[in-house]
Amino acid sequence: MGYEEMFPAMDSRWHGNAAKRFASPFVDNPHDRIDVDPIILSNAAVACGYTIRDFYEKPELGIHCVGYISHLFDLLPVTHWFFSLPWVTELGLKLHYKETLPPISTGPIYSEPEDVDKMRVIPKEELVKATGEFATVPKFFRIYDYVAKNLPMTLVPISYGFDLVGAAAEMVGVENFIMWTFTEADQAEKLVQIYTDTAINGAEAMADKYGMAMLIVGSVLANNDIFSDEGVERYSVKNMYRYVDGCFKHGAGPQIFYHLCGNHQTDYKLFKDGLMWSPFTVIHAGYQGRNAFPSALLKETFQDKATCMGSVDTKLMIDNNPNKVYNAAKEQLLQGRDSKKGYILGTACETPPYTIPGQMLALVKAARDFGTYGTW
Amino acid sequence: MIQMVTVTIPAGVKELIAKRGLKESDVVDVVNTAAQTGKYIKKGNDGLAKKVIGGVTVYVVSDLSGHGTAVVKTAYAHKMALGKIVNVMSETEWKTHDGKAIAQGHVEMEYMTVKRTGPALVDPATGDAWVEEYLAIKTLAAAEGLFEKKRA
Repeated sequence: MGYEEMFPAMDSRWHGNAAKRFASPFVDNPHDRIDVDPIILSNAAVACGYTIRDFYEKPELGIHCVGYISHLFDLLPVTHWFFSLPWVTELGLKLHYKETLPPISTGPIYSEPEDVDKMRVIPKEELVKATGEFATVPKFFRIYDYVAKNLPMTLVPISYGFDLVGAAAEMVGVENFIMWTFTEADQAEKLVQIYTDTAINGAEAMADKYGMAMLIVGSVLANNDIFSDEGVERYSVKNMYRYVDGCFKHGAGPQIFYHLCGNHQTDYKLFKDGLMWSPFTVIHAGYQGRNAFPSALLKETFQDKATCMGSVDTKLMIDNNPNKVYNAAKEQLLQGRDSKKGYILGTACETPPYTIPGQMLALVKAARDFGTYGTW
Repeated sequence: MIQMVTVTIPAGVKELIAKRGLKESDVVDVVNTAAQTGKYIKKGNDGLAKKVIGGVTVYVVSDLSGHGTAVVKTAYAHKMALGKIVNVMSETEWKTHDGKAIAQGHVEMEYMTVKRTGPALVDPATGDAWVEEYLAIKTLAAAEGLFEKKRA
């Protein structure tokens, strides 16, 4: 029995409305309310009775759960599936599954700065032919072929650069990488560029097959808890630009989702004039210090360039007080809902696997109560 | 600055132009207009000229190494209308015909009444902007398709 046989068919009436709503911020055609994107991943599998490991080990099941649970909570009409370490097995790293986490590395494979000189950018042809259960392009071809067949109205092929700095750092160990940014900066930069250029080749493979590929790229390890603004700019902002520009040159895009994960207390300013912006860009920032990044600041900084996605602290999604989510969402909505190029209500990062359903409802209820178009 | 030029379009480029739905006469018009106005940018021997024709912005890249000649290397177009400069980033290898630097940046782009931001080569002195070929034929073409679908 295929996974598709375990789920009722998608409700086309719900999907039609959600799709129109989803398009609203990008085409100035307000419909219904501000959309809600809690970056639902393994929570969807858990909500359907599976495990976190199931979500990652059985990606077709995982992405079907995302589609199904999106309907339950009236979320986005598109499906996605990912974890934070694409492209690394092709560069030599080994990954393994965990019961309660996304796949993680078995450990770094390089330890000296000179080792970076042994690395090479993996060409597209090798990425397409890569083998092994974590091979990125074959895995995503499998996932999107499944979606095209079974959930076609939700299909948006996505290519992930994801965390260019963090994933590259896994190759040598995060502690080593951070040290090298002080002592061997050129090698640290070269490492990130090799990862970035490999990810670009992967995006081209996706675009070749599907005609386009939305780009998701973030600054996760590179945040103000770890790096100075200068470090974030050198290793993250510049490579995010390199990634998007390179992907555009190879036919991927035009949609971009920029994910500033973690604390971007002061470095957020660098992304404004450091990134490449397309007509279909969303910018999302997680935290400013320990607090959810204020949507007023997000709007002020980025509204001329992109659709803004505000954040509710993910911790609240597992706090047994729905009003905390509701009130936090209300505050963000009131600050950000009139962003010039549209606004989306999100959580600061992936909603936790064991998100309480009542808290998800509180998030969506706030969007209905304070984000309905035409009411402000 | 180009004064009067003889425009040559090699056979292979003619094929490309036709495939992209552009008219040879429009391509010649773009180059001639640039020659008359001096509004084009250069990188090495290559000149990049543009003109809005029938609501579409047509670009021509020509080899200007021969005296008084422009050998067309490629031509392309986009439907989005370019507006004011949104930001100016680092300088590129492109220069104005009188040698001033052209920067990478972003401009307002309008299509089907929707204004968004997109990447372009920009001249902060004049406010003019140009879109490079890879962005026009891939990124903006896909974006135009999405606008048409989502606005329908």
